[in-house]
Amino acid sequence: MSEENKSSPASTEPTATRSTVPMWILVVTLVLLFLGFVFFDRHSGWFDARVYSPYASAEQLDAYQPKTGAAAARAQGKKVYESVCGICHGVDGLGKPGQAPPLAGSEWVNAKGVSRLAHIPLAGANGLISVEGKDWNMNMAAMGAALPDADLAAVLTYIRSSWGNKAGEVTADDVKSVRASMGGHPQPMNGEQMMKMPE
Amino acid sequence: MKNGFAVFFAVCVALGGSWTGFVLAPALQLGTAKQTTILNSSDNWPLQRTGEATLGLQVYRANGCAACHTEQVRQDGVAFEVVLTGAGKINPVAVSNLVSTLKLSGLTKDEADAATVKITAIGGKVETHLAATGADIARGWGVRRSVAADFLYDVPVQLGGVRVGPDLSNIGVRAPDANWQLVHLYAPRAIAKNSAMPPFKFLFQVRKIGASPSPDALNLPQEFAPADGYEVVPKPAAKELAAYLLSLRADAPLYEAPFTPITAKP
Amino acid sequence: MNSAENNFDCTAKIDASCRVPLLALFGGAALWLVLGLALALVASLTFHAPEMFAGHSFLTYGRVSAAANDLLVYGFAIPAALGVILWIFARLSQAELVLPLVPVAAANLWHLGVFVGLATVLGGGSSGFAWLEFPRASAMLLGVAFVLIAISAVATFGQRRERELYPSHWFLLAALLWFPWIYSTANLLLVTAHPVRGVAQAVINWWFANNLIFVWLALVGVGVAFYFLPKISGRPLKSRFYALFAFWTLILFGTWAGIPQGAPVPAWLPALSSVASLLLIVSLIAVAVTTVKTVRGADVVCRGGPFCHIRFGMAAFILSGLMLVAGACPQYTRVLELTWFGQAQAQLQILGFFAIVICGAIYEILPRVMGFELPFKKFVRGQHWCFMAGTVLLAGSLGVGGVLQGLKHFSPDAALPVLRISTLGWMFFLLGSLLFAANIFVMTIKWKLALVRLVIAYVKSPLEISEVKP
Repeated sequence: MSEENKSSPASTEPTATRSTVPMWILVVTLVLLFLGFVFFDRHSGWFDARVYSPYASAEQLDAYQPKTGAAAARAQGKKVYESVCGICHGVDGLGKPGQAPPLAGSEWVNAKGVSRLAHIPLAGANGLISVEGKDWNMNMAAMGAALPDADLAAVLTYIRSSWGNKAGEVTADDVKSVRASMGGHPQPMNGEQMMKMPE
Repeated sequence: MKNGFAVFFAVCVALGGSWTGFVLAPALQLGTAKQTTILNSSDNWPLQRTGEATLGLQVYRANGCAACHTEQVRQDGVAFEVVLTGAGKINPVAVSNLVSTLKLSGLTKDEADAATVKITAIGGKVETHLAATGADIARGWGVRRSVAADFLYDVPVQLGGVRVGPDLSNIGVRAPDANWQLVHLYAPRAIAKNSAMPPFKFLFQVRKIGASPSPDALNLPQEFAPADGYEVVPKPAAKELAAYLLSLRADAPLYEAPFTPITAKP
Repeated sequence: MNSAENNFDCTAKIDASCRVPLLALFGGAALWLVLGLALALVASLTFHAPEMFAGHSFLTYGRVSAAANDLLVYGFAIPAALGVILWIFARLSQAELVLPLVPVAAANLWHLGVFVGLATVLGGGSSGFAWLEFPRASAMLLGVAFVLIAISAVATFGQRRERELYPSHWFLLAALLWFPWIYSTANLLLVTAHPVRGVAQAVINWWFANNLIFVWLALVGVGVAFYFLPKISGRPLKSRFYALFAFWTLILFGTWAGIPQGAPVPAWLPALSSVASLLLIVSLIAVAVTTVKTVRGADVVCRGGPFCHIRFGMAAFILSGLMLVAGACPQYTRVLELTWFGQAQAQLQILGFFAIVICGAIYEILPRVMGFELPFKKFVRGQHWCFMAGTVLLAGSLGVGGVLQGLKHFSPDAALPVLRISTLGWMFFLLGSLLFAANIFVMTIKWKLALVRLVIAYVKSPLEISEVKP
């Protein structure tokens, strides 16, 4: 055996010395714990299941989401509006006296619910209607009846978010359900009749 | 330390910490995950493998392919690009002049937002595109990082640990041809000159050509082809493995790993 | 001196009580070590000539490398560890081994389980999880065997009269608790027809692999080293506090390492692993300080003996720990992750640290337990040099290869020249293991022959019967 230390066979089992606690190693541990916590705060996303590196937090991930969907929808809504509605209501949404009421600032456009608004292009409007304090008595054909749901939704979303209007979007499903509730031959309504409908 | 029970309890707590953090918590958070949808779409992700591809995963596992190949793409960061979609009606000339002077790709989010504001202020219309960046992505191994959703239905998950060979998470996109996959399995050096990959000859059968050549027979280059009158035919395991490899793709944008897909213009 | 003779008698009895269990464990361990290293060499050879084993499914790289890794850990490392633990507990308790036949039966169960696992992996039945390729049946055999041996070890520990624990006690007792915990968890959740869903499998796999390869081997290796370094040098362990501190920080922080940075999992998992790896530095410092203080100035002329083995192994452990920490630093993961660097760290831990330490311990234990000297004393030094050369060549080449791979973005030829050196490393390890196995096998044969001679002598000797007619 190449163990050179010739202790007796009855040598005691190994022992361990006691010494004063070396504070420096405890200090080092605490410093590393602190640095580790800072690192975790910056890089972990705080246990969020959707945050993967390189994103540092759920807020950052949300902010970085590509908004192409909404942008594309907006572009489409604008395109359809300008070709179908803008002739009468104006590209700037201000309406034309004797032709069509304004959409900018209109309480009908900015209403919280969307079904009363969606009714207008789907069924048309006929008779007295009050818009922004002024009376209009025109006849509007059902300009949106022939449009696909998505396009009409895009148009309505567009007018609700343009020219100072700050109302929520209209989805294709909304349009679909309004269309379905209207039945076969919807009649154009005047303002009073429209107010009786749910918003 | 003399109080045996107290020490035992403390050791249990210390050891149980990592069990809680890396077994219990992931089993609850990731192990209960459900199918998700592709970003800005209602298509599901991931799609379940079917048929031969499911069996192929077992061939992959049995032969220890994960010893050399990984199925995980990493990502280092993101880069933004600002794309002009219309010069607008107010001052189109100024818009195009401005666009030619600005740096519009490889931007951070703040730079992209600043450029967007500058251009839209004079009437231009822009779109912001997001791309994932990283060494793996630059190498063409993927368009975004791999995330948990990509492995939802894998039993077992074969992430791999060493890249002796290339990453395979998008091999179904890079090499969508079944014959290529089979030739590569039979004779890797037919595809990559000095490949260290062992030929998986036991997954194939060299047999005499019958009345007419088999439709499954491999198209091999001359130096790897069998003798005249013989053909190389894949066994069922080889076909399953090829089907599995063809099913490997992770190229759809997700909420956790967003990017702007490059769509073909209509 | 009478008390010295009594002590010697007592110690000899304690050693003798361990004889059969230890032979059962070490004999199998030596066999699996040789076979595992041979398979690893076969796997390594495929890099030089991929065509070599192309026609045989059981020799393909994916199966052979997995089998080799499992044989090194389950076939060699764990049984060797258990044998050493049994003896150390018996000695520290100053009591004979309790229930000595239980470890004998369990050792045979264990080796059967390893055999079943090996056959399954080479036959294509691998579970698909790294370091956990053995099938359910094998895992059950291994689990039961381990628990049986642990029962004997803990019962022996319970026989101690000295109430205060020696530092090695904590390390080794924690190891006896931790392996069944991690092994049963991993097998129940992964090696089953319906494992946890999705990437949680990978997380649990990484947790298990880190806790087995880094934490468990460290617990046993450091515990064994902290027993033998003072014992061989005749000096006390310096100091109790550092050893305690190393133990607690190892199990508090070391158990949380192991999740790779770029993994397809939410960011909080790799972040926790990074922080844990950073804190592991204090554990490594404590182990290093204890080892250096205990060893420095020790009056031991080593000449390739067990003291050299264990000292080198501890240095390899510190290096392996530092490699683990480096691999978890976000700045370096781009270069180090998913390369040969991780494999280098694992092999450095298993072979460079643990195998060398445990072989040194076995060389100290076997002569005492058998009652006669090692048949081939020169082989001890030969094995030491072979394993040292193997460690440097294997871990060094794979480590460098990994860095090259990372720097060249995994271009195919980046690591190939360096891999050729690793084959040389495996060859040195295989040679060293043959030297180790030779000692163990010849000792076993000598003992069995002695038994046979004893039986023959007994049969031939006249019986004492009261009425004998002349």
